[in-house]
Amino acid sequence: MSKLLEVKNLKVRANDKEILKGINLQIKKGEVQALLGPNGAGKSVLSQAILGNPKYKVTQGKIFFRGKEITKFYPEKRVKLGIAIAWQTPPVIKGVKLSQLLEKISQKKFEIPDGEHLLEREINLDFSGGEKKLSELLQVLSLNPKLVILDEIDSGLDLKRVEKVAKIIKKELIQKKVSVLLITHWGQILDYLKPDLVNVILDGKIICKEKDFKKVLKVIKKYGYEKCKRCLPR
Amino acid sequence: MVMKNAKDVYPVSPPKFQKNFGGSNGVHFWQVDHKIKSIFEAEGIIILPSPEAWKKYNWTRHYFDRKPKEGYFIWVKKQVDFPLLTCITTASPKVSQDLTNLLVIEKALKIKANVICNADKKNLCARHKAQGKLVLKDNAILEYNHIHKWGEKDFVSPDYEFILGENSHLLYTYKNLFPPQNLELNTTIFSGKNSSSNLNLTINGLDSKIRIKDTLFLKKEKAKGVVRLRLVGRENSQIVAHSSIVATAPSKGHLDCQGLLIGKNSKISLIPELICQNKKAQITHEASIGRISEEQLNYLRMRGLREQEAIDLIVAGFLKT
Repeated sequence: MSKLLEVKNLKVRANDKEILKGINLQIKKGEVQALLGPNGAGKSVLSQAILGNPKYKVTQGKIFFRGKEITKFYPEKRVKLGIAIAWQTPPVIKGVKLSQLLEKISQKKFEIPDGEHLLEREINLDFSGGEKKLSELLQVLSLNPKLVILDEIDSGLDLKRVEKVAKIIKKELIQKKVSVLLITHWGQILDYLKPDLVNVILDGKIICKEKDFKKVLKVIKKYGYEKCKRCLPR
Repeated sequence: MVMKNAKDVYPVSPPKFQKNFGGSNGVHFWQVDHKIKSIFEAEGIIILPSPEAWKKYNWTRHYFDRKPKEGYFIWVKKQVDFPLLTCITTASPKVSQDLTNLLVIEKALKIKANVICNADKKNLCARHKAQGKLVLKDNAILEYNHIHKWGEKDFVSPDYEFILGENSHLLYTYKNLFPPQNLELNTTIFSGKNSSSNLNLTINGLDSKIRIKDTLFLKKEKAKGVVRLRLVGRENSQIVAHSSIVATAPSKGHLDCQGLLIGKNSKISLIPELICQNKKAQITHEASIGRISEEQLNYLRMRGLREQEAIDLIVAGFLKT
């Protein structure tokens, strides 16, 4: 498998605080990886930094996508190259219908089961937790991406909805060999999607890379992320 | 010379506007500079230049404050199933229009009017002064869409009064697609008993000075009104909006003024004013001025929109709320 995304020794600051402290990450074409970590570990910041959110300043390190350095690219250019993200907490865009946005951004027409009713509503306004996730998936899939970062796509969903979302991801991304970086702090969705590799992030550093996701989940469920801290270099 | 049937001279009315706003019957009154290009009457509608109406119908003098120099008089006497369309254009450099318009809707008629005022070129340095009275008789309904598109050096000052009869309903929407250098927009609504009015003003400022003064008078029992202002301050624009509701009868009114400041060297001043002189009246307001949220902007950019595209979409959404 060829390398799609490569993050090299990435350090990122926000509000004068260093959040990411030297991240190394590689994702190959068609690969599914998970990024696990407690709240505040830097998961969302990493995903936003990969997309080039100007709120986060890269102070060191580089990001490559399809062999090209994209560290200084605008977010829209990264999207055009094929990176897409589903936000954990997407903002409300008042007065703009989801269908209007899709019309502007869609690379391919896409429909999601039970997602039709969202199209004529203002983006994320009064959306339930599940509706927000569906809307994010719809937008991401419409971009026809090569790499999708799903930031807490399972958070706030009951088991039935997690299963529904997982089915869409499996059918529309994984089976179509789109690479996926699955960010979660709970891990339930991993049982459905079975990632090739699990990364554990703690305090801005990836401290563990493990192919057996069940093993990682077992440790975290039993001992919490505290046990992972023991792996931190002293 | 006034043509009674525009089809003889102008088989097609101003194409840009007809396509967007006109009905199948074309433009009913079209004036360029000081010249009336066409008048298109339909059954049940009397259309005259205002000076002729002043001469012909004595009762119009009750509404015209002074003898009109130019402008239109439209008297809708019967129900029609198409929108009225008027178009006032400036086309010559430094032309100065001084219009007095009167629109009268008879009782229980339901009418839609699309009113366009525009400059033919960007750099005419023209003046467009318009004083208008719009009279809705009892039980009449008027949807009035007022569209402005000006050149960057123009001076524009419309002053419109709406006089609402009992149980009448007004939906007034004003949009300036391209602002002039100087805009003074005055709007006054006199509400009738149990009437309702909905005033929507959408103002774009760009290299312009804009003063808005709107007043909703609720002087009759059970009158209702909502005033909604959406102001966008782009580069080098100064917008002052003074929006008032005056209630002297048991009535209800609400002011909703919101500004979005997105350009450099721009300023928005919002002055909402509520005057209540009746203890059974209920008038409220909300007012805010904000800027584009970075989070919204980044969200849309992460959907592949360029920064300016994202700003335009957010502004378009803001103007719709």
